[in-house]
Amino acid sequence: MTKQEMLNFAEAAVKAAGTQDAVAVLTENRSAFVRFGQNRVTQNLDVFKRELRLTVGDGEKQATVTSQRIDIHALPGIASEARALLKTSSSDPEYMPSVPAGQVYPVIEEAWDEFTSECPAAPRMEAVGQVIDTAVENGFTASGIGGMYTTQTALATSTGNAVAHRSTTALLSFTMDKGLASSYSALSGTAWSDLDINTAIATVAEQVKLNENAVELEPGDYKIILEPQATWNLMMFLPWIMDARMADQGTSVFSGMESRKMAGENFTLSSSLRGGKPGNSFNEEGIPAEDVVWFDKGILKNLPCDRFTAKKTGRLPLFVPDTLDMAGGEGSIEDLIAGVDKGILIRRFWYIRFVDQKTMKLTGMTRDGVFLVENGKIVKPLKDFRWNWRPLELFSNILRIGTAQRKAPGLIPPVVIGEQHYPFTD
Amino acid sequence: MKQLVQRAVEMLKDMGVDYGDVRAELIRTENTDFRNARLDDCRTVETEGVGIRVLVGSSWGFSACTGLNKNDVDAAVTRAVDIAKAAGSRGKVELSPLDIQQGVYSGPCHKDPFEVSREDKIALLQKASDDMMKDSRIKSSYAQLWFEKRDRIIGSTRGDLIETDLIFTQPSLMATAVVDGDAQSRTLQDGARISGWEWVEESGIGDWGEKAREEALMKVLADESPSGEMDLLLDGHHLSLTMHESVGHPTESDRALGWEANMAGRSFVKLSDQGSLVYGSDLVNFVADNTQPSGVASWGWDDDMVPGQKWYTIKNGIFQEFGSVRETALLMGKKFSNGCCRAMNAQCFPINRQPNFYLEAPENGVTPDDLASDIKHGIWIEGRGSFSIDQRRESFQFGGDLFWEIKNGRKVRPLKKVIYRSRTPKFWGSLDGIADRKYFRSMGLLTCGKGEPMQSARMTHGASYSRFRGVEVGGGK
Repeated sequence: MTKQEMLNFAEAAVKAAGTQDAVAVLTENRSAFVRFGQNRVTQNLDVFKRELRLTVGDGEKQATVTSQRIDIHALPGIASEARALLKTSSSDPEYMPSVPAGQVYPVIEEAWDEFTSECPAAPRMEAVGQVIDTAVENGFTASGIGGMYTTQTALATSTGNAVAHRSTTALLSFTMDKGLASSYSALSGTAWSDLDINTAIATVAEQVKLNENAVELEPGDYKIILEPQATWNLMMFLPWIMDARMADQGTSVFSGMESRKMAGENFTLSSSLRGGKPGNSFNEEGIPAEDVVWFDKGILKNLPCDRFTAKKTGRLPLFVPDTLDMAGGEGSIEDLIAGVDKGILIRRFWYIRFVDQKTMKLTGMTRDGVFLVENGKIVKPLKDFRWNWRPLELFSNILRIGTAQRKAPGLIPPVVIGEQHYPFTD
Repeated sequence: MKQLVQRAVEMLKDMGVDYGDVRAELIRTENTDFRNARLDDCRTVETEGVGIRVLVGSSWGFSACTGLNKNDVDAAVTRAVDIAKAAGSRGKVELSPLDIQQGVYSGPCHKDPFEVSREDKIALLQKASDDMMKDSRIKSSYAQLWFEKRDRIIGSTRGDLIETDLIFTQPSLMATAVVDGDAQSRTLQDGARISGWEWVEESGIGDWGEKAREEALMKVLADESPSGEMDLLLDGHHLSLTMHESVGHPTESDRALGWEANMAGRSFVKLSDQGSLVYGSDLVNFVADNTQPSGVASWGWDDDMVPGQKWYTIKNGIFQEFGSVRETALLMGKKFSNGCCRAMNAQCFPINRQPNFYLEAPENGVTPDDLASDIKHGIWIEGRGSFSIDQRRESFQFGGDLFWEIKNGRKVRPLKKVIYRSRTPKFWGSLDGIADRKYFRSMGLLTCGKGEPMQSARMTHGASYSRFRGVEVGGGK
């Protein structure tokens, strides 16, 4: 659908609702990917999806209906179902009306790449073929996924706001392995042309060789060198629990910590709509997105906050607009390694979960490449190990930050963390 | 839906594909969610669509659309064939043999939950939520009733045509207590079942609020875990997760083949281990069962249209066979698929998923207290908590939801922040006692994530209280 067709449909849905408050969000996705494993293509897909979410309210209570019947003739039925659901709902003391008229939404043109939006089959097949051919040439096994997807969203509110946003994403993520040795790369960008595929394939193939014959890590003190993917893995849980309401309830690590130092001077985390990854223009309620600094030089500056909590506590209603950048420094991962006398280089973490949500203590494993670094050089591969860490404590002890790279959420740098004692499972 | 499926199948035949199947699904879910004793989410979601999977030579093509519009389905058929042809061949695809399947399957449902009034659902959750929030130290509560009606029709160019209709039901709630800067939650649920409203009634969720409140408070006020090597007594709910991660995933055929190496991971279990690998003590008998009516992976047929089956994954401690799909069965050295192919919905390519499976329990005569009586120092764990396992599914760390210290055969005090670590064969090898079937509890999981793009799948696991010797405990503080 064109942008105007989508906006018209969303506005028609709001009109069909006929309720005091209404918000309609129409989303259209296309996903076109090739998946591979064991050096063979295991999936090859090109999928379209459209969905309407209609939230209605009468001033006291609300209800939401989601439907994939995207047909103007289906709207009266969907609206009728939403009203029926509303009737049986119960009064909500936290009821919030539709956002007021006159919202000004950022236009983020750079989120869309025309070529990528066409989801052509040839580039993804070619890239996957390159990965598999390189694996076969080296006696490795390759697996992964490559492709492109598009998302277009139109939103309309009963208060007269109407806005649309669209984005494209290209990705190639793959692993090569030989026995217990493996390496991994995840490329992500707005455009297929953003992906440096040749370099990634060559690097991964080389790293598999380096990873053969891994040994157990000996107990002792080690600096931790995180490649950007590993840095992001440690931060992934932040957006989940950065929430003003949870903080107020006393159930998160952020309780009572606003405007207080929680990490080191060199830890700055922000959402920039035109940063490393273009952000969304609005959220599902129709609140305009904005640039936000969450941590500034280690100080917790802002927390995402729902509209009710914002009104109750005097905060601003804020949300993470699907993009996060951690401020980087200078230097490649090789430069960082060169400055470490005794440390561990970690490429990627796996299966990270909370051990204790209140203190944000996490557990996880390393995966696809861990190396012992001595006197500025990689000296041997290490077997994967478990750790139980509090990432904010690690981010309070960052010795050096390298140049940030585009990863799934935005710009993320490699970092060197001060000494930790192994075993990391206390 | 049936006509749409048959029409698309005929199109595929005309286009000369080597194999094609068309899967139409209409899924309706209903959420009633309470947070902090207020109705937070009153929602229905209706997803409908058609997925077309084709083989041209040895190249897969898959396309899908939302809605049940004829033109959209036609376009999806053409797209699936086009991308299969464009792909070229990278490896040979050979599907295991299967007789032509035709039929209808309906899951058990005595009382349609969609026919129960919303007011009744709200009243039930309001009471449970009010009960949880009666103590001011409970700072957060959550209560939910979730229902799904899933109608599915699959037809193929071979002449298969199956129809299924299933209703899934899940009640759950959680209370979080905050005292002296610590926060601890207690979650009560028995998971999802293929069942109607009768599962809500049987679960007794209306009376869970008080128990969740008191146990959350007990937990937040409890002492922190001791550490060291000790014995564990684990209930069926807790074990549902342990077995899911350390038995279910490593025995998936696609992981053993390396097809999940980039995402969900590989397996420490090799193809050659079938029939010989010592996975645990001789008390360890895991039965996979996609015929058990209320199990959430019992769909009549899987998405390959292989009928639901029952088999031993592990017998007397020895690994028997992987869960497979038609594409992997022959690669695993088996003649037939055992029916583990499922997609999240019509828009997803079906992949190898875990079946329902459970740890067999003895007929009678053993109670959990009997098992505890032979523990000098250990921990009694109920429910699910923190969980993490390496990508080969060998080295893990688990928490739980409720903990008691056992000393000299008796529960002596509640605990919090307990975690334990072990390795899969060592852990299952340390199992030396199972309580009888009266204490068996099952857990229907709805959100097992796997695949790229990520799909969530569902399966039911179960066990009775089981005792494990000499496990490393500590590190949860």
